Amino acid sequence: MAKKGFWHEALFRFQKAAALSPNDPELQNNLAVAFEATGDTTRALAAYRRALELAPEETHIRRNYARFAEYYTAAQRAGFGADAPAPTPTPPPMPTP
Amino acid sequence: MIRRLPAAVLLAALAAAGAVPLLAGVFETKLRLPLRPKLAVTGRERISIAPFLVASRTSDRREAVRVADVDLDAEFRRYLAKLLSKRTKMTVVAMPADVKLPATALRELAENGPYWRGLGARTGADLLLTGVVDFRVENKSGYKTEEYRSPVDGRTYTRQVLVESTGFTFDVSVLAIDARTGARLFLENFRDQKEKPKRAADEMAGLFENLFSLEGQLLGLFVVREREANRYVFD
Repeated sequence: MAKKGFWHEALFRFQKAAALSPNDPELQNNLAVAFEATGDTTRALAAYRRALELAPEETHIRRNYARFAEYYTAAQRAGFGADAPAPTPTPPPMPTP
Repeated sequence: MIRRLPAAVLLAALAAAGAVPLLAGVFETKLRLPLRPKLAVTGRERISIAPFLVASRTSDRREAVRVADVDLDAEFRRYLAKLLSKRTKMTVVAMPADVKLPATALRELAENGPYWRGLGARTGADLLLTGVVDFRVENKSGYKTEEYRSPVDGRTYTRQVLVESTGFTFDVSVLAIDARTGARLFLENFRDQKEKPKRAADEMAGLFENLFSLEGQLLGLFVVREREANRYVFD
């Protein structure tokens, strides 16, 4: 679903899966991306933070979070929407082994 | 003798060339992220464009006569009205021709709530726009060094050539006002610069090139825009 860009469908499935495995960082990451794609930045931020909490060293999650933080901060600075607190800066992602 | 490269070096080289596929189980996808507008409009509002202050017509006195032909306020308002009526669902209400601004400073304009309430009642608009526009034309010239090949002896020489250009700078501050309360909603500034590779290039063409460049940003005040971004998703 996500590969085809059907983000609302993908979100529904990720939410179901995350309810079954709430401690899976990859699922939290996917959930965050789906929230972002559907415009829910507040829940995307929460899901990214949860994913990082579960897997603080995971490169792809860190990269996603860094990109999200950039978008989110720019959107806030421009006064566009975003109503959740700004994400904390993250260190640059580790190189892929 | 052929030496085998260590695997790590090979991988690093491939990674640097961008040739390493993502790890199995992860793919990169493109998102189109919405950027909500500056102003929370439902899309059905009635908007009216009041006159804009003109900060300066030109910074180059020699070209003043030509640029004086451009009525910057009228051109900008006509362009903005067309943009808003075509690209948003808002209704653009005509501003009466006899409307005069009560001040020549933006700060005083923004604070004059009773004037804007009165204008809102007169036009029947929900939103009023005003602000300051500035358009500067600068003719520039200078010398640069370039190489040329002599047709006589075939050798390469350097020479100084005169380079002339025209710079166009458009600067606008848009002030949005709630027509019912007269309160200021936002003040946003946009600026665009263009350069044409000849002296005394056409000002109107320069002005509209500046305006077309700013179109997305101006629309972003009122309508949702999109931005593309890459994200990793686990399979």
